[in-house]
Amino acid sequence: MTPAGQIALATVLLAAGLWLQLPRGGGRGRALGGVLAAVAVGILLARVVQFNSAHPVAETVFWLLALTTIVSAVGAVTMRSPVYCALWFAVTLLGTAALLLFDGAQFLGIATVVVYAGAILVTFLFVLMLAQPQGHTYYDRVGWEPMLSACTGALLIGLLSASIFAPAEVGGDAVGWRADRVAADARAAEILNGEHMAHLGGQLFSRYLVAVEVAGTLLLVALVGAVAIVAQGSPPVGQAFQPDINGSRLGGGGGPL
Amino acid sequence: MNELQLLDRYLLIGALLFGIGLVGFLSRRNMIVMFLAAEMMLQGVSLSLVAWGRFHNDWGGQMLVIFILTVAACEAGIALALVLMLYHRSGKLDIAFWQTLREANQPRYVDHLLPDEPVRPEHWPSLPTAGVEPRQPIEELIHRSHV
Repeated sequence: MTPAGQIALATVLLAAGLWLQLPRGGGRGRALGGVLAAVAVGILLARVVQFNSAHPVAETVFWLLALTTIVSAVGAVTMRSPVYCALWFAVTLLGTAALLLFDGAQFLGIATVVVYAGAILVTFLFVLMLAQPQGHTYYDRVGWEPMLSACTGALLIGLLSASIFAPAEVGGDAVGWRADRVAADARAAEILNGEHMAHLGGQLFSRYLVAVEVAGTLLLVALVGAVAIVAQGSPPVGQAFQPDINGSRLGGGGGPL
Repeated sequence: MNELQLLDRYLLIGALLFGIGLVGFLSRRNMIVMFLAAEMMLQGVSLSLVAWGRFHNDWGGQMLVIFILTVAACEAGIALALVLMLYHRSGKLDIAFWQTLREANQPRYVDHLLPDEPVRPEHWPSLPTAGVEPRQPIEELIHRSHV
C-alpha cells in the first residue's frame, strides 16, 4: 500500500474509532472503537518506527511513553465521568513531561509536572468537586455531533501526518528542512548542553527579557480579572438567568445580557 | 538515533495529541472537559515546538513553550472563575445551557432528553464484625484522676 493510502486508511479508522469511543447517548461499541483507534495509531506510528537496535532501552522507553501519552489522551477525551477525564489527563501530562525530558528539555519537563499536573489539574479537580452534581449527568453522556467532530479531528491528524511525511516519500526529492538532515546531525548540539538551566536562563533573561516582562504583566492582569469575575458573585436566586431546556428565554428580560 | 527521525516522531505524537484534543473540544459538552481538551491541544503544540527547537539547535522552541505554560496558567485561572460563575447561575456545567449566545441566524439546538442511565445495584464493601466488643469496666471509664 502506498504511504498516502496508509495515511488515508489510518484517518478513516481513527475517525470511526473516536466516534465509537465518544459519548453519544449509549455505551455501545466502545471496545470496538478502542481497537479501531489503536489500529489507526499503530499504522501512523509504524511510519516512524525503525527500531534502533543501537539503543534498545532508549527506544523501548520512548515507545512506552508515546503509547501511554496517546492512550491516556483518548481516555481523557472520551470518559463519561469528568473526574476520570481529569485523571486520564494527568497521565497524559506525565507522559508529555517524560517525552519533553527525553527530548532534552529538562526544565520544561519538570515545569510541566509542577505547573500543569500540580497546579492547573488540582484546580480542575477542586472546581469539579465544587460544581459536579450527584452522579453522572445527561450532558456527559451525549456530545455535540460526535461523528462530525471525530471526522474533523481525524482529518486534521491525517493531513498533519501527510505533511510530516510528504517531502520524504511523495515528492521524491528531499526539500526544505528534510534536506537539512545532515546538517542537523552534524550540528553542535548546544540545546543538549550539560548546563541546561544556565543556558536556558541566560537566553530567557537576555534575548527574551521583554517577553518575560510581558508574561508577568499578563499573569497580573489575569489574576485581577479572575478576582473581578468571582467577586461579582452569583445573582440572587430570583434573578438568575433561566432559559428553558431548548435555550430560549423564559419571560422577558432578566438575563445577563 | 538521528535527529530527523526524532523530529518525525515528536511531530507525529504532537499531531495526535492536538487532533484528539480538538475532537474532545468539539464534541464534549461539559465545560471543564472542554477546557481539559484545549489544554491537551497546547500539550501537542509544546511537543512539536521542543522537537523543532532541538532540530534547529535553537532555544526559541523551548522559550515559546515556557510562555505557553504562562498563558495556560492565566487561562486556567480565568476559565475556572468563569466556569464557577456560570455554574452558580445555571446549576450545571452544560455548555448547551448558554446557547442563547449563539448567532442570530443559527438554529436552536434541541436537546433530546435521554432515558436515565440504568441504575446498577451498587455493592459497597462491608466489613464483617470481628470478635465481640470487650466489656469496659465502668469505673475506669468515668474515673478521673485528681486534676
